Amino acid sequence: MPRLTLRRRRQLAGAVFALPALVLVLGLIGLPIGQAVYYSFTQWDGLTSTWIGPSTWTQAFHNPNLWTALQNNAWLLLAVPFALGFPLLIAMLLHQRVVGWKVFRSIYFLPTAISWVVLGLVAERFFAYQGTLNSLLHVVGLAHVNTNMLGYESTALSALGITFVFTMIGTNTMLFLTGLATLDTSLEEAARIDGAGRWRIFRHITLPHLSRFIQLAFVMTVIALFSALFSLIFVMTGGGPGYATTTMEFLIYQTGFAQGDFGTAALYGLILFVLTAIVGIIQLRLIGSDE
Amino acid sequence: MAEITFEGVTKVFAGNVTAVDHLDLHVADGEFMVLVGPSGCGKTTALRMLAGLEEISSGTLSIGGRVVNHVLPKDRDVAMVFQNYALYPHMSVAQNMGFALKIRGESKDEITRKVAEAASILRLSEYLDRRPKALSGGQRQRVAMGRAIVRSPRAFLMDEPLSNLDAQLRVEMRVEIARIQRLLGVATLYVTHDQIEAMTMGDRVAVMRGGKLQQVAPPQELYDRPANEFVAGFMGSPPMNLLRVRTAPAEGRLALAVGAQRLELPRAYEASHELPTDADCELVLGVRPEDIEVVDEAGSGPTLRTRVERREALGAEILVHLALVEAGAPSSVAYDEDVAITRPSVLVARMAPQARVGVGDVLNVRLNEERLHFFDALSGVSLARGTA
Ligand SMILES: Nc1ncnc2c1ncn2[C@@H]1O[C@H](COP(=O)(O)OP(=O)(O)OP(=O)(O)O)[C@@H](O)[C@H]1O
Ligand SMILES: [Mg+2]
Repeated sequence: MPRLTLRRRRQLAGAVFALPALVLVLGLIGLPIGQAVYYSFTQWDGLTSTWIGPSTWTQAFHNPNLWTALQNNAWLLLAVPFALGFPLLIAMLLHQRVVGWKVFRSIYFLPTAISWVVLGLVAERFFAYQGTLNSLLHVVGLAHVNTNMLGYESTALSALGITFVFTMIGTNTMLFLTGLATLDTSLEEAARIDGAGRWRIFRHITLPHLSRFIQLAFVMTVIALFSALFSLIFVMTGGGPGYATTTMEFLIYQTGFAQGDFGTAALYGLILFVLTAIVGIIQLRLIGSDE
Repeated sequence: MAEITFEGVTKVFAGNVTAVDHLDLHVADGEFMVLVGPSGCGKTTALRMLAGLEEISSGTLSIGGRVVNHVLPKDRDVAMVFQNYALYPHMSVAQNMGFALKIRGESKDEITRKVAEAASILRLSEYLDRRPKALSGGQRQRVAMGRAIVRSPRAFLMDEPLSNLDAQLRVEMRVEIARIQRLLGVATLYVTHDQIEAMTMGDRVAVMRGGKLQQVAPPQELYDRPANEFVAGFMGSPPMNLLRVRTAPAEGRLALAVGAQRLELPRAYEASHELPTDADCELVLGVRPEDIEVVDEAGSGPTLRTRVERREALGAEILVHLALVEAGAPSSVAYDEDVAITRPSVLVARMAPQARVGVGDVLNVRLNEERLHFFDALSGVSLARGTA
């Protein structure tokens, strides 16, 4: 029997131990993916499926709605920096114990604890023509700036993005606060003595320390953006006006459940999966290159 | 480079904890001042106030003649070595050492040159590209030192920098730090609770207890002329023997009652110490372990009759724990180990390993009559004249 190096043996043991989990993951993720690929080559109404070959694929890419949805997803990515930036700012303020930090600490997480359906309803009331935003504008004497963000194709997506940023604040703030709590305070003190001011300490000590947490928050936020907006869209806009707020995710729902074209829906699902996977892989690369 | 002055500096923490109480301390330019004391006596707090990490409750703190009470740490130009080193984990050794210079806006070439120079002093040149995680404890310690010395600051502050190292490395770094400090001539305040570090490294040593400064003196003076019972007991290992005794003058001669035994004192102590002249006054007699020697029956000088309770061999020396033999009690009583263990030994003597002493032996020991110490029984203050 050939002698194995310690390293090899450890790798082998790792593989053996990981096997059950691997089987489970492949079963739970691989199987549905395989099914989705299969259905994308069929005509399926929910009961019976007939093999129609790659025609779904050729037609799907000529559907302008797919491109609109992809574009909407791309535009929504612009919300990600805000969904990370605001929580980072809030976490820094809470960490430095600004006045009122105790009160704020107890409320920032509330939105996270509330169902996104409810948040969507609240947001809808907020942005509506006779909603809270306009009332507020009225109160501060800006009655002439009547908004109706959800009513126009040009602004509905922005309203959705803003709502999304708001819903992500709790989770990301908590993540960053956890990161800050693990920062050794003597590092900050050492930097202060080394002559660094607030900004330099943040830039050279805090931010590098938080980089892992920020990467994690980034992945979670992008994935949420691609795959968890459904309830917000459903409640706030129903994908409209027109297709202005229809994302890939919502398009899948519409195609499958509203139009009964499950074959095409399965194909869209695959596209979304690939996009999400790409983000994940890029992220893993970034994390990997750090060590 | 600059001198450091604490004037009545006090720190009261929330909850009314007085960590430092009216500290008056002057560290001369280029001086190596060691701050020692038991755990919780306020050493770290004093250092952190000097660094600007802790607000001063009252008093004045100045560096180089400038009051710094409200000056931010970054504007004090002092460098600090933390107990846990506080190295920036995501920076290389070179970046760690050059960080302060970079903040200061020095040119890349200048930083590289200074870092290389410091690295060669500290023998770190081959590790410059490593992260702190990939260094041994001793190397990390040297990086922490390096981060302080590249800056050529006005003062070095060090908080127990050697306490995380093993014994051998500690001895090595002790010498190293002292050498570098002399080389650079920067005023240094060095906190430790290790009295060997205090004795060997400092130009002067400041002893603190419960937030209050007890004595500031060169190490040998601190050892030879402790200002009070606490300093006497704190410096030296094993510590000075402190015996509660009573005065018992007879025929105009100074003498003490130690238990049931009489101890004659040389006349010279009358002049050098403020000893009570009345009989039966309580005071504390201090004798260092090395100032006790075994003598024959008919020895002259202050002698006590003792029995050996315990014997600890340390290799180069032995420590002999002695109990007073009560006068009248038969000395031939069989040795009872249980009793010996529960009864505190009265005196610890340091002897050569060749000394033929065994547990249970009855010995006459003579105290070095030139090196006796006397303290007030109540206040613990030294009774020696000329030390206030
Ligand atoms: N932030 C704080 N709040 C309240 N009390 C404090 C604080 N920091 C220190 N203390 C108290 O002040 C006293 C002195 O603490 P300090 O850390 O200066 O002691 P030290 O001499 O450095 O002890 P050690 O040798 O154990 O490090 C202690 O009684 C401690 O409990
Ligand atoms: Mg301390």
